[in-house]
Amino acid sequence: MDPETFRRDLEAWLDANDEELSPPYEGAGSMDEQIAHYSLVKRALYDSGFGRYGWPESVNGLGGSPLLRAIVGEEINLRGLADPSPWTMIEVLAPTVIDFARPEIAARLVPPFIRGDEMWCQGFSEPDAGSDLASISCRADKTDGGWAVSGQKIWTSFIQYARRCVLLVRTGEPGSAHRGITALLVDVDSPGVSYSPIETMHGRHDFAEVHYDEVFVPDERLIGEENGGWQVAMDILPYERSTTFWHRGALLHRRFSDLVAQVAASGDRSDTAARALGQAFQSLVAFRSRSRDTQHRLAGGQQLGVETSIDKILITSAELDLFKAVRDLLGGVVEFDDDLAAAMWRTDYLYSKAAPIYGGTAEIQRNIVARRLLDLGPES
Amino acid sequence: MSELVEAADLALLANGFEAAMAEAPDPGEADQALYDLGWADLLDAAPTQGAAIAFSALGKTNSAASLLDDVVAHALGMDISLALCVVFPAPHQTIPPACRHGNAVVVDGLVSARVESAATAVLASEAEGSVGLATIDATLLQGSAAGGVDPGGAFRRVTAEIPADAISLMANQGTWDSAVAAAQVALAHQLLGEARWMLAEARQHAIDRVQFGRAVASFQAIRHKLAESLVLIEGAESVAQGCLHDPDPLLAALAKSLAGQAALTTATHAQQVLAGIGFTAEHQFHRWMKRTLVIDTLFGSAGSLPIEIGNKLLSQDSAPRLIQL
Repeated sequence: MDPETFRRDLEAWLDANDEELSPPYEGAGSMDEQIAHYSLVKRALYDSGFGRYGWPESVNGLGGSPLLRAIVGEEINLRGLADPSPWTMIEVLAPTVIDFARPEIAARLVPPFIRGDEMWCQGFSEPDAGSDLASISCRADKTDGGWAVSGQKIWTSFIQYARRCVLLVRTGEPGSAHRGITALLVDVDSPGVSYSPIETMHGRHDFAEVHYDEVFVPDERLIGEENGGWQVAMDILPYERSTTFWHRGALLHRRFSDLVAQVAASGDRSDTAARALGQAFQSLVAFRSRSRDTQHRLAGGQQLGVETSIDKILITSAELDLFKAVRDLLGGVVEFDDDLAAAMWRTDYLYSKAAPIYGGTAEIQRNIVARRLLDLGPES
Repeated sequence: MSELVEAADLALLANGFEAAMAEAPDPGEADQALYDLGWADLLDAAPTQGAAIAFSALGKTNSAASLLDDVVAHALGMDISLALCVVFPAPHQTIPPACRHGNAVVVDGLVSARVESAATAVLASEAEGSVGLATIDATLLQGSAAGGVDPGGAFRRVTAEIPADAISLMANQGTWDSAVAAAQVALAHQLLGEARWMLAEARQHAIDRVQFGRAVASFQAIRHKLAESLVLIEGAESVAQGCLHDPDPLLAALAKSLAGQAALTTATHAQQVLAGIGFTAEHQFHRWMKRTLVIDTLFGSAGSLPIEIGNKLLSQDSAPRLIQL
């Protein structure tokens, strides 16, 4: 389907169903409210057909370019209809599970995920394996008909709402680095899984510390090959940095436009205000332009790779520049005010501080650009 | 928009332009060589794309060819030639370089080296909120020395008071705003060409230069400076390329501002990585760095354009969604 026709049809449908799709709560809402409404929006999109485009027929999708998925998320975020964070997990995990899981497993498990009936989470990081992901130690040992998983994960987002988890485990010798890692699809309600939430500095329980104690995972839940988990993790990366970024860019655009309207309404026409807005806008446009190019490369069947580190750095700068402008131009709102709008500015301002940390820190991205794109040789 | 030129033809043209610019350091000779290679036809057939490859070559070679005169004159709907030059806005400005004061027109702007050999100059002036276009005898603007930080470059400042009877008003064909946009996109490509050359020099130096027993490229502080430069260049490049498909003047201003920021930051980082040798006149770096300072000031700078862009957004109460999938 032609992306422009698709967008027009989608916009008309969103206009017609605005009342049903708008959040029932004021302001940001609680996490429970957000997740419930997110599920409602996802299901409505799926049942109308819009949410099935861009997914292959093997998982009950309607086919078509992944650009269509980027457009759906963009429109939802521009209208502020659903929180993008849980949605992110679909765009990050589902394409790779479709590529690497056994076809019958993907066909059975992925549809309820992309319909919003259930959520999944991602178990990659560990207390001693953050940026250095290849050093994970959470183990899986062969048992009768499957694997026994024991160890600890951290920063597992939304596990309290999740049905399944894409887990990276050590199946090789302790020193086997990226060669001895395997990916498994684990049911969160399996005996032996326990978690404790971690409260973030913006007052939410976005993620948790998770313990796996002799958790049984059947053979059929292997994603990719035994000891082929690094390839699975690397396959996820480009998805994380294409569709998901485009969605988040749309959210940043909406918040930037909110800021412009608020500054315009205040009557502030100083050069300081104009400059801060102009700089935030140009960071955002640089990101969106780069990300647009990336979406088209992905839709054209090209293999995305390390060059997406540039997209990551650009969206991080766009987010930091935007919320720096928010704090600078809305005098004292972030620090003192307590109305709903101020609380949302404060939450978003504080959350922007995570942008240079999650998904590979800003420093790791620069290391990758230096080594792989500038070919500067090894670091000392 | 005109048919886009085939990619293979573009690559050939780009190579030809770069070779001609490298061989003809004198601005007048370089202009002639580019006209001989079909620059005028290219600008007519594919204005944005043609300017993109020519200005990218200008940046990479640091040539002082006066192609900006052609880009602006063409966007104003005029027949371009080596006998025609243009008065550009004053440094950091995008408003016309002249305003009417009674019986005279007061000029404060920039001209390229072509002013010395041209017969006619195009002069835009502002009066009562509208832009008028006129031509004047180029001799009225001649004789200013090519001084400043970049005497080898094409641009110099010109201030003059021209009597009203020396001015021939002309019917506006293209609008001033579209001429500004065309200049900004072309100059963005030039700045990115300058930036890529400076980054390549710094990268090679970092790999070759050994201190404490290892290449300085192995130090993270240096790697990150070079990585940041590349990220800014690629972000700005994407926007500048996006202008090929979208003639929005706001996008053109963003492209110029981002390219200026990328080139200025790259100049700073590259000079730091080059260290001592980058501060000397022996190394070529200073030529590109000084040209970057000059080109940044033309048609709005990385310092001034964000203010213009922000004011435009404030006047609209919202931010337009510029980049579409």
